[in-house]
Amino acid sequence: MKGNLLPNLTTIAIIGISMLIFSSFSLIAFNLTSFLKAWEEKIEIIAYVKKGVALSDVEGLLKKIRQFEGVEAVKYVSSYDAMAFMEMKLGHQKDLLDGIQPGILPASFEIRLMRDFRNTNNIKDIVSQLGQLPQIDEIQYGQEWVETFLNLVHLFRITQWVLGGLLLMGIIFITFNTLQLTISSRKEEIEIMHILGASPSFIQVPFYIEGLIQGLIGTGLAILFLFYLHYEVLLYKVFFLYVTPSMKEWLAGIPILFLPPEKIALVILGGMVLGFFGSLAASMRFLQYQV
Amino acid sequence: MIQLSHVSKTFPSRISALSDVSLQISAGEFAFLTGPNGSGKTTLLRILYCAERPTSGDVIVNGIHITQRGFRKIYQLRRTMGIVFQDFKLLKDRTVGENIAFALEVTGHSPREFGKKVSAILNRVGLQAREEDSVLSLSAGEQQRVAIARALVNNPSLLLADEPTGNLDDRMTAEVMNIFTYLHHRGTTVVFATHDTDLILRYPYRVIHLRGGRKVESSA
Repeated sequence: MKGNLLPNLTTIAIIGISMLIFSSFSLIAFNLTSFLKAWEEKIEIIAYVKKGVALSDVEGLLKKIRQFEGVEAVKYVSSYDAMAFMEMKLGHQKDLLDGIQPGILPASFEIRLMRDFRNTNNIKDIVSQLGQLPQIDEIQYGQEWVETFLNLVHLFRITQWVLGGLLLMGIIFITFNTLQLTISSRKEEIEIMHILGASPSFIQVPFYIEGLIQGLIGTGLAILFLFYLHYEVLLYKVFFLYVTPSMKEWLAGIPILFLPPEKIALVILGGMVLGFFGSLAASMRFLQYQV
Repeated sequence: MIQLSHVSKTFPSRISALSDVSLQISAGEFAFLTGPNGSGKTTLLRILYCAERPTSGDVIVNGIHITQRGFRKIYQLRRTMGIVFQDFKLLKDRTVGENIAFALEVTGHSPREFGKKVSAILNRVGLQAREEDSVLSLSAGEQQRVAIARALVNNPSLLLADEPTGNLDDRMTAEVMNIFTYLHHRGTTVVFATHDTDLILRYPYRVIHLRGGRKVESSA
């Protein structure tokens, strides 16, 4: 396998660029997913309690609501809690609330849903069950916003799979052709091995190992470069220089993440599998004894 | 050693390369395979080393029934033979010694054996002083001797040569023929394809004539 430095470097570069595109896509998809998850967490139903409902009834209501299918947690917010929250929100302007009795604000239940139940149908189902409780007055869950958001999430997930799949197919195609070119550049050497009676494994295994190593190096370099782009360029140059303070505040709590170790391992493994099976498929034509 | 029974070969383009060829070459025999271009010499040799499968007929080489259905161990058959080509088929980016050691490497010999075996075989073909030289620095005759040395390093019982002197001048042809003669005297079976009738006349070996894919004559 001597004297094949250039084809090997070309293969590594092509696998590297392909995997950089794929891992960039994965990184964007991962961040958008965590962004959407963070927003999904905010989906909750607020059920306001009618005035005059005794505090002793609250415990029973809490128990009942917790038993609804899909409810993860229920929090009772008394009139006093609501007032304290308003005061906190108003900050320096809390004087505006002077003279207002806490009792004027209605008590409520804040209901968090289980992940699988954060969809329009299940929300409507829970809302309808809540509406049947005589102690409940008004129910809010930002119907329009939730529906739009959930549709967006659905659309994003489909787009992610379709685009990811197409990208992967493109990468497999490019890698396969590159490896085929690399192997065909050694056609003479392979022919000589065949003439001399080399065993199929002697001829094939080094190509598979080479594909595996090329996949590992190419993908490893892609991840390193992506890491550099993520921290040095995106976070420090773009985020800190071009994102306005108000946007930063809005984005607070939704960090821009790098791929977690298990996803990095998966991408690297994917690159190795790509190199290995790419070599396997590309070599079919050249490496076997044909009669 | 070699037995062909009613062997025919027609390519997918419907060109008939061999037609009902039957012949037998005994162990230790030297046989010239001759005929004009396109007579089927190369196709016959390719069938013997399993680079082609005949359309019909039976072939036995070194006791292996290579036309039998399910025969897959081509590499094992090739290890029992040495093959020499007109265009040498050497690895051009390697030295003389490395080219020969490559034949040992691919057949699973330990690298410890390489040095001794390579020197011995180079000594036999008269190239012991060129072991470290690049094959590109050699003359055509020397390159063919390297190819022969490579074919012989695994001690094959059968040597197939396809126009091995086709690119060589008379002096170099004589050098190469001396090696083949030596090998024949040592007991190696040699099948030597050539269209050079002058060359054939100089040696007292059996001649198998092919014309248009048919065996027309076989004479000692």
